[in-house]
Amino acid sequence: MSSRWILAAGAAALAIATPTLAQRGGGDNKGGGGKPAKADHAQHGGGAKPDRAGPGHDRAGGGGGKQARVETSGGQMRHAQVDRPKGPDKMRAAKPNRADMRENDRATARNDSKRDRVRAEKGGDRVRVADRDRTDRDSLRLDDRNRDQFDGSRLVRFDDDERGFRGLANGCPPGLAGKNELCLPPGQYKKLGSVLPAAFASRTLDGAYSQWYRDDDRYMYRNDGDYIYRVNRNGGLIDALFPSADRDFSYYPVGMNYPSEFDQYNVPYQYRSFYPEGGDYDYRYGDGAIYQVDPSTNAIQSIVALLAGDLGVGQQMPSNYGAYNVPLGYRDRYYDTPDASYRYNDGYIYQADPKTQLITAVISALV
Amino acid sequence: MNKPLMLGCAAALVLVGCGKQGDSAATSEPAAERAGSDTLAAGLGDNARLADAARAAGLEPTLAGPGPYTLLAPNDAAFDKLPAGALDTLMTPEGRAELTAILTHHILPGTILAADIGKAIDAGKGKALIATIGGGTLTATRDGDKIVLADAAGTRAVVTMADQERSNGVLHQIDSVLMPTQ
Repeated sequence: MSSRWILAAGAAALAIATPTLAQRGGGDNKGGGGKPAKADHAQHGGGAKPDRAGPGHDRAGGGGGKQARVETSGGQMRHAQVDRPKGPDKMRAAKPNRADMRENDRATARNDSKRDRVRAEKGGDRVRVADRDRTDRDSLRLDDRNRDQFDGSRLVRFDDDERGFRGLANGCPPGLAGKNELCLPPGQYKKLGSVLPAAFASRTLDGAYSQWYRDDDRYMYRNDGDYIYRVNRNGGLIDALFPSADRDFSYYPVGMNYPSEFDQYNVPYQYRSFYPEGGDYDYRYGDGAIYQVDPSTNAIQSIVALLAGDLGVGQQMPSNYGAYNVPLGYRDRYYDTPDASYRYNDGYIYQADPKTQLITAVISALV
Repeated sequence: MNKPLMLGCAAALVLVGCGKQGDSAATSEPAAERAGSDTLAAGLGDNARLADAARAAGLEPTLAGPGPYTLLAPNDAAFDKLPAGALDTLMTPEGRAELTAILTHHILPGTILAADIGKAIDAGKGKALIATIGGGTLTATRDGDKIVLADAAGTRAVVTMADQERSNGVLHQIDSVLMPTQ
């Protein structure tokens, strides 16, 4: 029976963050409703993060490429390059039953079996058009083409008669086709301890991630659509990475080891006071949850928080957020009016325009 | 009533440090303090099978954490509707991933009271879509004075007891287990 079930698919406030947390979407690459989640734009931008969909849609995991192991020793991070040609796949494989869990969604996406992970938003719904075959990058290029229309941030060219890009293979120059989204040569992509490729510099986080991982004096975060890279400003090296869009209604089950290639403290900003670094347990984010990890074995012991990742400034309010859900302690301040509606998600209250359903601001941080 | 979900750790605050190694019920001290003592986890006294399932999936700290979440809590009779042995299978190590996915289909972001769902239904001309934290969507409708939640397969769960407010969210009792997909 089980295979038939498988899926497709803080109230007390430390402080009400000021409305300055609000980031206005739209314009100057900082937002834009309905943008595909993989679209890039400047930090604090909006951009749709329609990661999740209604039933029947799914999201695929990351692509290939080398991964590296990060080891912690005496509180110091060491970076050791490890060739892992199918690193991200390794992580997926480490999830028991994950492939089976997606089976129903796969049926939906099977007709587009060569399509790479693509997320799009339609009419405010969370829609994922996903596939996980990375044997053909054409569809990704098509998605990039759409993305380009949204925010002009496309970095990869593709065959296109109208635009005169005919002759590029899968959007990349000969020899680099299919290597990675940015057509970077092997060895310059997704490597811990390496310098952030220049092509990533403008690829700031979007949607909810722009709130969860903010650039600060020490780190900046960049995204290539598959991974979030944490870059140490002192030296500009990638010192952590983890999947940015690997949720597919599947969580790492307790008992399994947290993937070693992503084993860095990466708890979203708003939850760090609750699940700090350096305590008796390790806390790690991944796949829509914060996990408590045994530092000695790396085994996941429990799921300490669940995150939806649905909302972001500049995107459309998903249609399945029609019900008011603001925590009780904040309802006297943030209640729906003809001019503004409010919805809660992952530690934040978001303000939307009732007429356009465009999320216009992050009002408060509750945790 | 309100039997703590975390066995051996009766109160949420006591959960902190209940045991370092191998105690999946433990949560961090700041999270427990923020959540308070009347958490969703502590409110499952009448939902023994759900409590067992949450424990098996390692989700107790989430339900005992800051939240806030809306928990659609299938009562014990709801689990009886499942095929024989299904829950036992889900609670094995091999079934945990699936169990986790099913349980997260019953957890909603934020605090959604029954009246909020009702307003959304009215605004939606008889139907409202509700996001689950696990990435799914439930469909809410009215059946007389009851609110009914349906999964994608059409399984209907009636809210039998609504608006049990907890320190980290709200709990609604339902009479069926909802599945993420058919």
